[in-house]
Amino acid sequence: MSIISIKNLTYQYPTSEEDVLRDISVEFESGKFYAVIGANGAGKTSLCNAIRGFIPHFYNGELQGDVLIEGRDIREWELGELSTKIGYVFQNPFTQISGVKDTVFDEISFGLENLGVEESEIRSRVADIIQLLEIGHLQEKNPFELSGGQKQRVALASIIVMEPEILVIDEPTSQLDPQSTEAIFSIIELMQKKGKTIILVEHKIELIAEYADYIIVMKDGKAVLQGNADDVLSNEQAIELGCALPQYALFGIEMKENGMDLGTIPLTEKKAISAVQHLLEKRRVTS
Amino acid sequence: MNKIQQFIVNLYPTTKFLIVLFLALSAFITPGYIWSYLVLPICMFLAYLAGCFKEFSNLAIKALLLIVLFIFLLQAFFYPGQEILWQWGIFSVKQEGIQFALSLTSKIVAVASSLLLFFRITKVKDLVSSLEKLGLSPKVTFIFLSTLQIIPEMQKSTHVIMDAQKTRGVETEGKLMTRVKAFVPILSPLVLGSIASTEERVLTLESRAFSAKGNKTSLYQVNKTKHDLKVRILLLILFILLIVWRVLS
Ligand SMILES: Nc1ncnc2c1ncn2[C@@H]1O[C@H](COP(=O)(O)OP(=O)(O)OP(=O)(O)O)[C@@H](O)[C@H]1O
Ligand SMILES: [Mg+2]
Repeated sequence: MSIISIKNLTYQYPTSEEDVLRDISVEFESGKFYAVIGANGAGKTSLCNAIRGFIPHFYNGELQGDVLIEGRDIREWELGELSTKIGYVFQNPFTQISGVKDTVFDEISFGLENLGVEESEIRSRVADIIQLLEIGHLQEKNPFELSGGQKQRVALASIIVMEPEILVIDEPTSQLDPQSTEAIFSIIELMQKKGKTIILVEHKIELIAEYADYIIVMKDGKAVLQGNADDVLSNEQAIELGCALPQYALFGIEMKENGMDLGTIPLTEKKAISAVQHLLEKRRVTS
Repeated sequence: MNKIQQFIVNLYPTTKFLIVLFLALSAFITPGYIWSYLVLPICMFLAYLAGCFKEFSNLAIKALLLIVLFIFLLQAFFYPGQEILWQWGIFSVKQEGIQFALSLTSKIVAVASSLLLFFRITKVKDLVSSLEKLGLSPKVTFIFLSTLQIIPEMQKSTHVIMDAQKTRGVETEGKLMTRVKAFVPILSPLVLGSIASTEERVLTLESRAFSAKGNKTSLYQVNKTKHDLKVRILLLILFILLIVWRVLS
């Protein structure tokens, strides 16, 4: 059974002039890694809001169709209940600070304090997360005084410390350098290995190719293309839909157009190398 | 930090509050205005012991001087009375007015300086923690804490907006009128910005399970020590002595 099931979801913010989500249907299975991609304004964040229940519980407006979390209608869930089930890391790292804690350590503890977890357990869990995200040098700092990238890591830490089953993460690496981006992705992968369902909005297509199981391409509020990562990323149609493909896939498509079919469309460096080797061998044999 | 300083700073927030409450009440129990005025130097002395003499005195004197002066002038001229001390045209200073101004301002000085002292020697974090222990809802203490944190943030964004205006060539410095003119247009981005970030803050709290049911844990705790009891007993004795003295005299 899917853990989240979205059927014909259509939604409009009370203040927006047209529908921002149109007739979206997606099934999310437990333990898989989903990536949501699409241009600015395509509705990615709005989709996350709908999954987390902020639509319609916070933003109001009319939600048509169904969003079911563990089979139960989103309208019937209470926001408070969902906070332990779905962790949501927002796009904007600057507003994800509680504003009542004066050190990063306390900031990360905040969620667990609200859940009434015992003090000694809070301390050990927070310490573990701090180590995992390599932010030990920040733990005594005031969260307001961090850089954008540091805030982004603290925001992620503050959510994953609560150990929700589903993680919705909206562009967690927008403020990060390439190295930290890789680090964040490996942490997200670790979360997946722990059995969590991951829903990630991200633009960095090479990393998506490496980690995601399933991709949803959004455009103008619609889920215009979705499927297993390999299929979507080797689909030429994706380019027409405004989705950037990994450079190796582009290379494969280009080769095919020029009469040098690699047999497959490679997505990663490794696969590209082996595909090219394969092709070269085949040519040697035939000539 | 020396010993006395540590002693005062580490007192439990409600104990500190009882101290300033005692000072403020004593101003009302003691007749005349001299003692009431004396509360200010006493508070300054306590601030000195607590290691915040400068901050306290600056704030207290700046805030109080203006109010006291204003009330004094107002009451001296306009309080109804017969005994005229000094006259200029239709304006006259009356004995009764001076008397009234003295007793009124002395009380204001006593209450205000003890309150200011309380907030100088009590960390907000401690106060909030003790209030939560008294059973105040975390929602209320949250509003309290976040407001205090947000003020410096708003100041920062004011500067950012001001700088943006400057680079666009808007005059933001100089005469008062220029400053006022420059300040008005920043109000809307500032206020709208704060409203927008309030919305996001609500979502942030929501995602940290702030509205989850059940008891919350607090990592930060203030605790009473044996000193608190001693100070409280001392205050009680002083208070009883004061009442007895007042009744007998
Ligand atoms: N709170 C809101 N109220 C009204 N309209 C909104 C709100 N949030 C987003 N919208 C509108 O919904 C549409 C989709 O926005 P959304 O934030 O979901 O896009 P996105 O795909 O996340 O874009 P980005 O890549 O820039 O983050 C946009 O046209 C936007 O103007
Ligand atoms: Mg977005």
